[in-house]
Amino acid sequence: MQPLTLGRLFARCAVLGVVLLLVTLVALKLGAVPVSLYGLGRDLIRVAMGKSSELASEYRLIVFDIRLPRILLGIFVGASLSVAGASFQALLRNPLADPYVLGVSSGAALGAIFALIAAPHLGVAPAVAALFTPLGAFLGAATTIAAVYFLGRRQGAIDSGTLLLAGIISASFLSALIMLLMTTLPSSNVRGMAFWLMGDLSTPPPRSLQWFLGVVFFVAAGAIYTTAADLNLLLAGEQEAIHLGVDLGRVRLVVYIAASVLTGLAVSVSGAIGYVGLLVPHAIRLLFGGDYRVLLPTTALGGAIAVVIADTLARTVVAPTELSVGAVTAMAGAPFFIYLLRRRLT
Amino acid sequence: MAPWILVGLFVIGPWREIVMFRGRARCVRAAGAAMAGTLLLAAAADAQVPLQRPGQQRPWADRNPDIGTGQATSLAHAQPAPAAFAEITDETGRHVRIPQPVRRIVSLAPSLTETLYALGAQDRLVGDTDYCDYPPEAQKKPKVGGAINPNLEQIAALRPDLVLMTKSLNRYETVRALDDLHIPSYATDPHTVDDIISSTARLAEVLGIGEAGQALAQELRQRLTEIEGRVGELPRRRVLFVVWSDPLISVGRNTFIADALRRARAISVIDTAQDWPQVSLEEVVHLQPEALIFAATHPQAEARDFAALAQRPGWRDLEAVRKSRFVVITDAVNRPAPRLISAIEELARQLHPEAFSERPRTSPAAPPGLESRTADRDSRASWGACACSR
Repeated sequence: MQPLTLGRLFARCAVLGVVLLLVTLVALKLGAVPVSLYGLGRDLIRVAMGKSSELASEYRLIVFDIRLPRILLGIFVGASLSVAGASFQALLRNPLADPYVLGVSSGAALGAIFALIAAPHLGVAPAVAALFTPLGAFLGAATTIAAVYFLGRRQGAIDSGTLLLAGIISASFLSALIMLLMTTLPSSNVRGMAFWLMGDLSTPPPRSLQWFLGVVFFVAAGAIYTTAADLNLLLAGEQEAIHLGVDLGRVRLVVYIAASVLTGLAVSVSGAIGYVGLLVPHAIRLLFGGDYRVLLPTTALGGAIAVVIADTLARTVVAPTELSVGAVTAMAGAPFFIYLLRRRLT
Repeated sequence: MAPWILVGLFVIGPWREIVMFRGRARCVRAAGAAMAGTLLLAAAADAQVPLQRPGQQRPWADRNPDIGTGQATSLAHAQPAPAAFAEITDETGRHVRIPQPVRRIVSLAPSLTETLYALGAQDRLVGDTDYCDYPPEAQKKPKVGGAINPNLEQIAALRPDLVLMTKSLNRYETVRALDDLHIPSYATDPHTVDDIISSTARLAEVLGIGEAGQALAQELRQRLTEIEGRVGELPRRRVLFVVWSDPLISVGRNTFIADALRRARAISVIDTAQDWPQVSLEEVVHLQPEALIFAATHPQAEARDFAALAQRPGWRDLEAVRKSRFVVITDAVNRPAPRLISAIEELARQLHPEAFSERPRTSPAAPPGLESRTADRDSRASWGACACSR
């Protein structure tokens, strides 16, 4: 392995950062309402120069109040899901691990739905109640990953086939519970939820929640990053990692909680967007290698790029009607999953 | 300021890494900074957007985030600022500020589109959903996507003074997103036939055409009274309203459709608190409804489907199927709009033909062609033999 230098790490992040910026610009340009490249460029320059009062009024609302928040939400969700996916892959030592495949997203969705049902009955302020959904999603995600982990163990070691089966079984069991809850809920909520469950970025969370999400993302991603070197060793095997001085219990706890937080937050604002946590870390590994100290920041950027692209497609291919972004990622991700599975078997 | 706190958090986060790999500390810190920097840019851009629009600050909205507003939006350049606002409470209990007069309306529900046409306000309708198909001219209006997932930027591009929604169909998230964009919205929430009429009149009031609303409401109530006069004393027909046949979905007692059935002197054999229950066929066989009611846009095509349905196990055990007691009415019955009254008239006429037999009565509102239907004729012919009402 090449030694990691400042320049190399910087270069890799910068490349993806530039790509993300370009993708964001394209996503700002495309949409149901046509916006000219000239108009967009002029407005962006005005914003950059701090002269936003001169913005063309017809674009301001659409580009800066509708598209930009949605793109930012996509960046947040993509980064969260792919960092969570990369961490699960190391922790479970399974290249097929992903919040969606392991049922963690379904667990988070169930937790979020419970929170939505419970929130109006608790009589708390709306600002506090808004935090219940991400909290419920986190608890659901954490419970599911713990259950999948214990179900996936065999004779004290993680068996990758058993683990995947445990994840798939948990996902379908939790989906059944979600269906049960949705049929008993008042019908006006059900339609919206069915849409949200498939993955939906069209309605950004309330403003009060946005800062909270940003801060928690950095805390959780930072916590995972403290274990990056341990995750590298863990990939060699649990026993080997322990012999090399990795505090396995602590690493496991930190990564579990932080990855569950990331998944829970992403699911609570966007529903279950599948396969991002699977596809992106592998693509990044092919590009930059598997060192987690590089992989974690680059995979965050890559996940952001992937979700922004997927959401732009979802917004534009059948405009003005919208596809669900989960459908777009699944269409790209499921064949990729099969490819990984086949490659591992042969 | 807040973004710098985030940077701090992220630099402190990997401290252990820095200690462990002393020689590589710089690169680790750089990775953190790069990761933070990108998302920071995003966060900063997000934070700047609202700050850069001082003209749109709403001091009163901070106290109550649920308040929608039409105050001096950025669209003010595009059209003259409205002279006045009406402060009202909509049917879901939200306080909304609606610019007066309302010139540009986007409807997010087929029923509301129909209502606007019935009130003669179609010229102000500047956009509706993919599903708004009645009257046919409504299909030509600019589309904003579906009712559940409307395209926000398409709505914004139409520069509406008011977006109309209905609680049973649209999502609360859409309401909130429109509030964030300072686009005023008004939501209706009718649950009964009476609600639909009063809701229509109220909507007319909001749009400043209260007189048209009163006139329409009066006409609709009069037609209901007339139906009541004809069928009010007759025994109730026990019916199964088929919303969807595969799987079988019917209506719960609290829906406006159940109320419409009652107005036509019929009663649904399904009585659930759930609005759109999925019903097991064996329950229906046990309950043996006198007639099956279908709503259809194309009755002729529907008649062919009945033949197929009558062959299927379960369905063929139904008395109503064996005697071909299918009632097909206009799909207006599915929409909480003024046209529902026409559907009730049609339903009453088909379920209780004897009450309408003294003179060949044609309702002015009933679309032509409804009178001559195979299924209709069949059901009418067989009612004479019906002795199963209780």
